[in-house]
Amino acid sequence: MSALTKLLDPRLQTWVTRALVVVAAAVIVLFPLSPSISAQNTVIMALVLAIGASGLNVITGYTGYLSLSQGAFIGIGAYVGAILAIRIPDVPPLLWVPVAGVFAAAIAMLLGLVTYRSRGPAFVIITVAFLFLAQFVAIEWVPVTNGTAGLTLPLPDWPDAWGNWPFHLVLVTLLALSLLMTWAIRRTKFGMGLIAIREDEGKAGTIGVNAPVYKLLAFGASALFVGMAGSAYGYYLSFVDPIGMFSIITSALIVLSVILGGRGTLFGPVLGAFIIQPVNTFANDAFGGGNARLVLFGGLLVLLVILLPKGILPTVAAWVEKARSKGTVGLSGSRLNPLDRPLAPSDVKRPEPTGRTLLEVRGLHKSFGGNHAVNDCSFTVPEGTITALIGPNGSGKTTVFNLISGTMTPDKGEILLNGERIERLSPWSRAHRGVSRTFQITRLFREMTVLENTVAPLRDFSVRQLGLGAVSGSEAARATELLEFVGMAAYRDAQAGSLSYGQQKLVELAQVLMLDPKLILLDEPAGGINPTLIERMGDLIRDLNAKGTTFLLVEHNMPFVVGLCDPIRVLARGAVIANGTPEQIQKDPLVLDAYLGDDYLLEAPSKSRTSANSPAVERNPA
Amino acid sequence: MIRLEGVVAGYGGGNVLQGVDLEVGAGELGCIVGPNGAGKSTVLRAVSGLLKPSSGRILLDGEDISGRSPDAVLRCGVTQVPQNNGLFPTLSVRENILMGAYVIRRQRALVRKRYDEVLDMFPLVRAKTGIRCGNLSGGQRRMVEFARSLMLDPKLVLLDEPSLGLDPKSLTVIDEAVAIMRGSGKAVLMVEQNVRFGLRMATSGIVMESGRVLLTGAASSVLSNPEIAELYFGGAVHAAPSS
Repeated sequence: MSALTKLLDPRLQTWVTRALVVVAAAVIVLFPLSPSISAQNTVIMALVLAIGASGLNVITGYTGYLSLSQGAFIGIGAYVGAILAIRIPDVPPLLWVPVAGVFAAAIAMLLGLVTYRSRGPAFVIITVAFLFLAQFVAIEWVPVTNGTAGLTLPLPDWPDAWGNWPFHLVLVTLLALSLLMTWAIRRTKFGMGLIAIREDEGKAGTIGVNAPVYKLLAFGASALFVGMAGSAYGYYLSFVDPIGMFSIITSALIVLSVILGGRGTLFGPVLGAFIIQPVNTFANDAFGGGNARLVLFGGLLVLLVILLPKGILPTVAAWVEKARSKGTVGLSGSRLNPLDRPLAPSDVKRPEPTGRTLLEVRGLHKSFGGNHAVNDCSFTVPEGTITALIGPNGSGKTTVFNLISGTMTPDKGEILLNGERIERLSPWSRAHRGVSRTFQITRLFREMTVLENTVAPLRDFSVRQLGLGAVSGSEAARATELLEFVGMAAYRDAQAGSLSYGQQKLVELAQVLMLDPKLILLDEPAGGINPTLIERMGDLIRDLNAKGTTFLLVEHNMPFVVGLCDPIRVLARGAVIANGTPEQIQKDPLVLDAYLGDDYLLEAPSKSRTSANSPAVERNPA
Repeated sequence: MIRLEGVVAGYGGGNVLQGVDLEVGAGELGCIVGPNGAGKSTVLRAVSGLLKPSSGRILLDGEDISGRSPDAVLRCGVTQVPQNNGLFPTLSVRENILMGAYVIRRQRALVRKRYDEVLDMFPLVRAKTGIRCGNLSGGQRRMVEFARSLMLDPKLVLLDEPSLGLDPKSLTVIDEAVAIMRGSGKAVLMVEQNVRFGLRMATSGIVMESGRVLLTGAASSVLSNPEIAELYFGGAVHAAPSS
């Protein structure tokens, strides 16, 4: 074993990381021992910045919403602390720190409401507007804030010998709590839901994640300790004014810290803050601050995005991982031994039709501009069946799926699940009621592992659930079972984004099964997977169906549909043009014309595998 | 035309391709088949320059193009039709096809000449040049993608699962397009899960497993190899024809 491989030993690395964290923590905690007051001042500002960055990490790193108003919560905390300290002079000002934090968190949740309607660049602009709004209030609400003149706080009444120690220790404690919170969030259902929202908010809804509530709580959490830090910082400065407290530079520095250190990592934002703040101090001293800093940090941001788009910690981690896996053999698909297929009896019993209708779609309409994608579409899915929805490309099948799963709302029409109207419900409420779906182009959470993807779905919503561990033992066992069921157990710990298209399809199936759904909508389950797996997919569907799950599937592989589904609904130009058994459908002149083609010829495969080798007529596609 | 020799490549979590050798000549169609995750699409990524091989050679007409950037590979005469829909939905068919000539956009006369040639090859596309691609059906979109891939008059066209998401009636466009490409002397390297459909069009079949080429042969012999049929195409595939 060479020296390099030894260095790359994961256990050694864990110890090196821990040692580094302990040394860094010790240096930071004991920093007021330094004789230089200006250095002490820089560290205190770096601590405030680090708390801001660590909080921003919850909404930017985990949830994927970039905010330029994080600095406003330092200001809000400082103002709350200052106002209370001046009006109630008998109480030591540092006791107001928690109150300021709670107040800032409440305001942040109001800002979080905005995410209900906007994301991406639009949201960033709104956060800038919010920052200016906060500043505006601080300037104009003179009776409380004393306007542009600002508020002067009483000087600390502790002995001179204590110096900056109380401020320093309060901020260090807040940073520790903030890190503890981010660490804990990452390990709960709450954190996993946030990451799901970051990766694909639409998809998160369809697996039962109540995104608006998650985002509100994330915004509250992101500002809690920032407000507290702001209050301590205001007292440290002993002067609070609108221009200094609500400067956009502070927000920009926080964003820069998070990006530099590494979004979504625990220590990255802190590392970033402790690099950015000294640079900031230097810029103030050397270039006179002000606009020079804008140029400096604008340039730095550009450089960062070009050279280190992922930030320091993730880049280092990627280097280490690359060096470690160099020359090793990656997981890749091997042959599917036919014996590996589930030993389902060759003629799985179909459940007796209950005669009830599980899903009914009545007069559904959906237009995009002038294009009537779904135009008066009505059909039923009887309970206990595997119903197929077929039709030419562009006939509106996927739109119908989007309307049923709640990814889109219909312009007109009704969708009934067990007689209950669901067309106005949110996607996650529909998922909680037992409707789940897969996507034509798979939508797994690419940065999560296969196992995390599989346990991400939520069958209901409760506040208590948010605090539960992200992957509990029983869930992991169930997920592993499902992954074995679809033949993907070997890839449990692989990143979902690294899987091939067909493999992602299988993981997505395991993922929706985690919801224990009554109705599964499958969008082209056989597309892009190899024929042995198509067989297996068919077996899986039959097996689940035998246990009582109802299926509605869109598929172009006609032999697959004919061998598996009954009844079949045929969609063309947004409406159902034919209904019936596979035999009826294949002879229907309307269907032949619209979908199958006049030269369509197919001998329906027998549903049992024993007759699989019987000769069959094949249609030459040429 | 195109030859891979001992290509090793991966995405960071270890190597997916573990020494791939294959060859496709001018006017031929090589079809790669194999289980999910065997590395089929990864081969195409390595050839098109999206993934840099850590060792091995990729020879185009004898010239090693491995490790070149995607646009350099494009300029050498290798175009790709991606797996998922790669058209710009708000641009017209004409604009989308002209995008295929982006790297030679300064040679206006050449672009115009190629555009006419391509439309001659695909008369169905000629009828729709003014339509926004978002309003086309799946089969028509695929046809536009094929037309676009020929704008650079490539030596080699890479097709990643052309049949994906196409309804039975539209599958014929693939046969037509591939015949057009081969007829003009281009090599085609294709990945296809619809094994029977793919191998019926192909001249050679390349069976991959676990990042290696397990066997290569005339498409018809691969298709009729009973062991291969049992293991990869599903023993019951006889009852499940492709279209």
